[in-house]
Amino acid sequence: MKSSIPVLHANEERTLAYQLISFIFIAMLLVFVASVLVTRVVYKKIILDSQLDKMRHLVHERVYMMDGILHKVESLANTSVNLLQDNEISSSSLEKHFRNVVLDNRDVHSVTWVSLKPDNEQALLFYPYQHLVVRKEIQGADYSFNDWYLFPMVSGKSHWIEPWVDEDGDKDFLISYVIPVYNKGEIASLIRYDIALSFLQEKLINTTSFKIGNSFMVSSTGTLITHQDQSLVMNHTLFSLAEEYKDNALKDLGSAMIHGEMGHAFIKGKSPMAFSWIYYQPLSSNHWSVAIAIPERDLMAPINLILVIQTITSLLIFLSVAAIIYARTVSVSKPLQSLAIAADMIGSGDFEAQLPISDKSYEISRLTHSFAAMQKSLKDYIENLKITTEEKNKIRGDVIYASEIQTNLIPKQCTNPFGIKEIRTHGVLEPAGDIGGDLYDFFLIDENHFCFVIADVLGKGIVAAMAMTMVSTLLPSIAPFYKSSSELLQKLNEFLCKNNVEANFVTALLGILNIKTGVLQYSNCGHVPMFIRKIDHSYTCYNETHSTALGVFEDLKIGYDTIHLDKGDEIILFTDGITEAQNSAEDFLGLAGLEAIIEGLQYPNPEKTANSILEAVHEHAKGSTHKDDITLLVLDWKHPGFLDQ
Amino acid sequence: MKARLVVAIFSVAVLLAYGVIGGCKRSDAGANHKEDHGSLKSSTDSLLKLRYRPKWQPQAQFAGFYMAKKMGFYEQHGLDVQVQNTLGGNQPVEQLLAGNGDVVHLDLLSAMSINKDSTVVVCIGQISQNSAIQLVGRKSRGIRSVEDFKGKKLGLWRSGSNLIVRAYLQHLGIEMEVIPMEWSVHIFTENMVDVVSVMHYNEYHQLLQAGIPEEDLFVLSFDDAKHNIPDEGLYVLKEFYNKHQKECEAFTEATIDGWTYAFTHPEESVEEVIRLMNETKLRANAAHQRWMLDKMRHVIIPEPESFGILQRSDFDNAQSVLKKMGILQRNISYEEFYPRATR
Repeated sequence: MKSSIPVLHANEERTLAYQLISFIFIAMLLVFVASVLVTRVVYKKIILDSQLDKMRHLVHERVYMMDGILHKVESLANTSVNLLQDNEISSSSLEKHFRNVVLDNRDVHSVTWVSLKPDNEQALLFYPYQHLVVRKEIQGADYSFNDWYLFPMVSGKSHWIEPWVDEDGDKDFLISYVIPVYNKGEIASLIRYDIALSFLQEKLINTTSFKIGNSFMVSSTGTLITHQDQSLVMNHTLFSLAEEYKDNALKDLGSAMIHGEMGHAFIKGKSPMAFSWIYYQPLSSNHWSVAIAIPERDLMAPINLILVIQTITSLLIFLSVAAIIYARTVSVSKPLQSLAIAADMIGSGDFEAQLPISDKSYEISRLTHSFAAMQKSLKDYIENLKITTEEKNKIRGDVIYASEIQTNLIPKQCTNPFGIKEIRTHGVLEPAGDIGGDLYDFFLIDENHFCFVIADVLGKGIVAAMAMTMVSTLLPSIAPFYKSSSELLQKLNEFLCKNNVEANFVTALLGILNIKTGVLQYSNCGHVPMFIRKIDHSYTCYNETHSTALGVFEDLKIGYDTIHLDKGDEIILFTDGITEAQNSAEDFLGLAGLEAIIEGLQYPNPEKTANSILEAVHEHAKGSTHKDDITLLVLDWKHPGFLDQ
Repeated sequence: MKARLVVAIFSVAVLLAYGVIGGCKRSDAGANHKEDHGSLKSSTDSLLKLRYRPKWQPQAQFAGFYMAKKMGFYEQHGLDVQVQNTLGGNQPVEQLLAGNGDVVHLDLLSAMSINKDSTVVVCIGQISQNSAIQLVGRKSRGIRSVEDFKGKKLGLWRSGSNLIVRAYLQHLGIEMEVIPMEWSVHIFTENMVDVVSVMHYNEYHQLLQAGIPEEDLFVLSFDDAKHNIPDEGLYVLKEFYNKHQKECEAFTEATIDGWTYAFTHPEESVEEVIRLMNETKLRANAAHQRWMLDKMRHVIIPEPESFGILQRSDFDNAQSVLKKMGILQRNISYEEFYPRATR
C-alpha cells in the first residue's frame, strides 16, 4: 500500500548519532580550549620560573668555568710577578719560566714580558708553536700606545683588557691580563698573559652539559665577545644591536650586563635575540657578563608538550566517545526505524503491521508496547467507526426519506390553488438541516372558505419534523368541522398536548378567508406578526397574538380577529427564521428590517414578493454561519390581473 | 678665484643632478660622466695608475672613495685607482714620502707641518669642511664644563689630529695631563682618563655603542671659528702634481662624484663599506657605519658651494695656529699649497 504520509528519511545531518556527536564535539572543544587556556596561563609562570631557575644554574656553571680560566691566568701572572720581584733570579731563568708556562698551560695563548729599563726597554713575546715555544722580541714602540700597555701604566694596577688584535702575534683576537711589576715603588716591568678569544668561545659554546640555548659573553663595553653567531662576535655590542633593531629592551639588557647585574630579561623585536629569554650573570674576575639565551619556544617546550598531549588525549577521548555513541545510537535507532516503518504502515491503514520485537532498551521497549496498545485501540476504534458509520448512513437514509415525505406534505406551488381564481399563493420552505420544524399549508374547507396556516415547531430535527407532520396532516382533516380559526387551533392544541412526547412548542398563525367576501378570520398563537400589503404599496403589520404557543397548555383559550380584505391585498406570513436571520456581525434582520424590505417591494405578485424577501434575507445573512429554518407564505386576494403585467 | 668658482659651479651641478636623479640607474650616471669628461679620457692612451691611501682602514669615513671606485667614476676620469691598505694612523704620509703611494689623506695641520721648510706636498682637494673633533668627559665623573678639564687626564691621539686639540687647549688656557693613545675608546670606558678626544662621526658613536648614555657625556666641539680646522684633505707630492696635474684634478672630481653618490645612496654605500671591512677582517656594524656616513655629510658638505674646496680662511686659520704653536716659522702661500686656487 502506497502511503501518502511523508516518510522522514535518514538524513545524515539530522541523525541522532550526528547530533549527539556534534554536541559532544562542541562541548569537548569548549573544555579543551578552557583547559588549554588554563594550562597556558597557570603553567606558563610555573614552567617559566622553573626554566629560569634552570637557566640560572646553567649560567652559573658557565660563569664558574670562565672564572676558573681567568683566575688561573691571574694566578699564573701573579706567580710570574713573584719571580720577577725576586732579585736573585736571572733573565734566562725567567725566560725558562715563561716558556714552561706557555707549554704547560693550554689556556694560555701567549705571554709578553716588557722590561721598562729606562735606557733599554725590551718587550719579549712567548707563544707555543707545535711543541716548541717561540721567543720574539717586539720591535718598535707602537705597543706603548695600546690599551694593554697604557692601562697598567696609567692606573698602576692589573687589568683585563678588552679583546684586541695582536699585530705582532698571529693576529687573533686576544683577551689579555696585564699586571705591573714594581721595583722600589716604580713600575719596572709589565707581564701580559693572553687567552685566545676563540679558546674561550669554544669552551663556552661547545660544552656538552649545555644542551639548550645560546650562550654568549659581553665585555665591559657590551661587546659580544663570544656568540654562536660569528657575524656578531666583536662586530656588535648589545647597544649597537639595540640601535640597529631599535630595541630598547636590548639596550636595557646591555646596561644591566655591563654594570655587573644579575637577572633575566625577555627580548622581543627583530634582533638575532628576538623572542628569547636571557639570563645573565657577571664574572667575578673582570665583571664581564655571561648570558644564556633560550628562544621562548624552546623554553616553553614543556608547555607545548603538555598541549600536544592534551590535544592527542582529547582527540582520542572524543573519537572513543564518538565511536561508542555512534554504535549505541545505531543499535537504538534500528528498532526505532522498524517502529517508524510499522507506524507508517499503521498510519496507512494496515493495522495488522508487525511491530518490532522488544528491544533491550527500556525506553524503546516501552515505546513498542505503547505502539502495540495504540495499534489495538486504533483497530477497535476503526471497527466501531465502521458500525457507527453504517448506522448513521441508515439513519441518514431515513431522514432523507422523511424529508421527502415532509416536502410532499407541503402544497405544490401553484398560482391559483385548487383552481380558485381569487387567490394566488407562493410558499417557500428552506429547512436548516435535511428536515425542518417549519410548516406552511393551505387548503379549501368548503367552496367558499380557504384556510392557510404557517407554524414553527420549537427545535429541529426528527422530533420537530414529526410534530410538523402531525400539524400538517391533522389540520386539513379536522378543518371542515370547525368554522373558526380559534376552534381549529384549539383542537390542534389539544391534539398536540396529548400526543407531543417531547412537549415541543408550536407557534402558528392560521387564517380562514372567505373567498367571495374577502373576510379573513385569523388567530395568532405565539407566532410572529403578519403583514398585509395593499395595492398602493402601503402595508399593515398585525402583531397582536391570540394566545401563547400551542402544545403546552391543554386548556388554552385562543381568540381571533377578523379583517375585511380589499381586492389585491397581499398577505405575507413568515417564521422567525426571517426576522432572526443574522449577518456576519451577528445582527438580526429584525421586524424593522423585514418592514424595510416589504416597503421596497414593487409588484404585488406573491412569487416575486416571496423571492424578493428571500433574496434580501439571504443577502443580509451572507457570511454568517448561523442557520435556521426559513419559511414564507405569500397570498393575495382578488388581485386585478393587470398589475402583474 | 676663477678656478674656485668653476669647481664650485661644477660641484653644485653634480650634487643637484644626483639629488634630482638620485634614483636613476647606474648606467645613466656613468653615461653622464663619460660625456662630461670625454676630452680627458681621449687625451690619454691608457688609464693612469694611481695609488690612493686613505687615512685609516675601510669605514664610511671614506665611503666616497669606495663608491667612486665601485661605480667606475675614476675610470671614467681616465684613472686606474688602487686603494691601498692602511694600518696605522701615521702611515699614509710616511708611505707617501717613501714613494709608496701617490694620493694620501691628511689633515690640514699635519700637511702644512710637513711643508714647514719647503713645499713637499700639495693639496688637490679638501674633502671635509668642518672639524669633527670633540673632547668628551662624563658628567657622572665630574666633567660638566670645560673648566672641569683642568688638571685632568686627557686621552689624546698620539698622531694626526692631536695638533689642533693641543692648540685649542692652549688657546683656552687649560692644562691637562695628556696620555698619548691609539684610536681605542676603552681607555675612556675603563675610566683610565677623564677626557678623551673623539671624532664625532666615529669614536663618539663608539662610546654610545659601548653603553654610555649620551646624556652623561659632556662634549666640547671645535666650533670656535679659529680652531675649526678641517681634516680630510687629499695630498700628493709636489713633483707628482707638477707631472700629473690634470689627473690629480680628475681624481678630486671623481672623488666628489663618489661622495655625492654615497650620500644619495647611503644603504648601498654602507653595504659596500661593510663588505670591504669584512674583507679586511675589521670589526663592523652597519648601525655605526650608517651613523658615520650621515655625520660625514655634515662634515663634507655643510654648504654645497664649498664641496671639495680648501677655503682660504681655513688655510689662514691653520697657518695661524701652527705659527702660534711654533711649528711653522715661514709663510706658506695659499696658491702654493693649493695650486687649484690659481685655476
